[in-house]
Amino acid sequence: MAEYTVLAIGAVVAIVSVELVWLRTGLFRRLAFAVSTVVMFVGQVLVDGWLTKLSAPIVLYDENQTSGIRAPWDIPVEDFLFGFALVTLVLLCWQRTAAGDR
Amino acid sequence: MTVPLEFVFGRRVLRDPVRLVRTLWLPVTLFVVWDVLAIERDTWWYNERYVTGWELPFGLPLEELLFFIVIPVVGLLTFEAVRRVLEPRGG
Repeated sequence: MAEYTVLAIGAVVAIVSVELVWLRTGLFRRLAFAVSTVVMFVGQVLVDGWLTKLSAPIVLYDENQTSGIRAPWDIPVEDFLFGFALVTLVLLCWQRTAAGDR
Repeated sequence: MTVPLEFVFGRRVLRDPVRLVRTLWLPVTLFVVWDVLAIERDTWWYNERYVTGWELPFGLPLEELLFFIVIPVVGLLTFEAVRRVLEPRGG
């Protein structure tokens, strides 16, 4: 089973659902969220690209637990879902801890 | 790369460490647990040559815990910096 793939998709679905159904901070409607996501994506491509390069990998994966799809470069695509889930959850929690109503 | 962000725009993020802890404890906990489970199940692992070898309980490399703190902080700094540019009159 492609565990990492399933968990990564599940994490994104869960976090998006939590925001849309429960938290409703409005984060996804903010242009700053879209721009930040793009910035973080670019940063991830650079850093994760370096960490996962197959020529000298720092992080290695069991290909039985991933989709096997690596792009761009040697980055497992699941890593982008993982990163998006992490940062989005952090931003949601940040919005929740804002003083007053936001 | 993020150092300029910290000094110029960190006023909102780093200035309020209590809010930072309140923000980070849940994501850090969840993702550390995910990482520990993944390491345990050999979903991924780390090349010994390139890590310090300092391990926290459950085989979690110290670098991973640092990663789960640094990346969120970078994300927050980025978000607040972008907000400052896009929402000049925002609080």
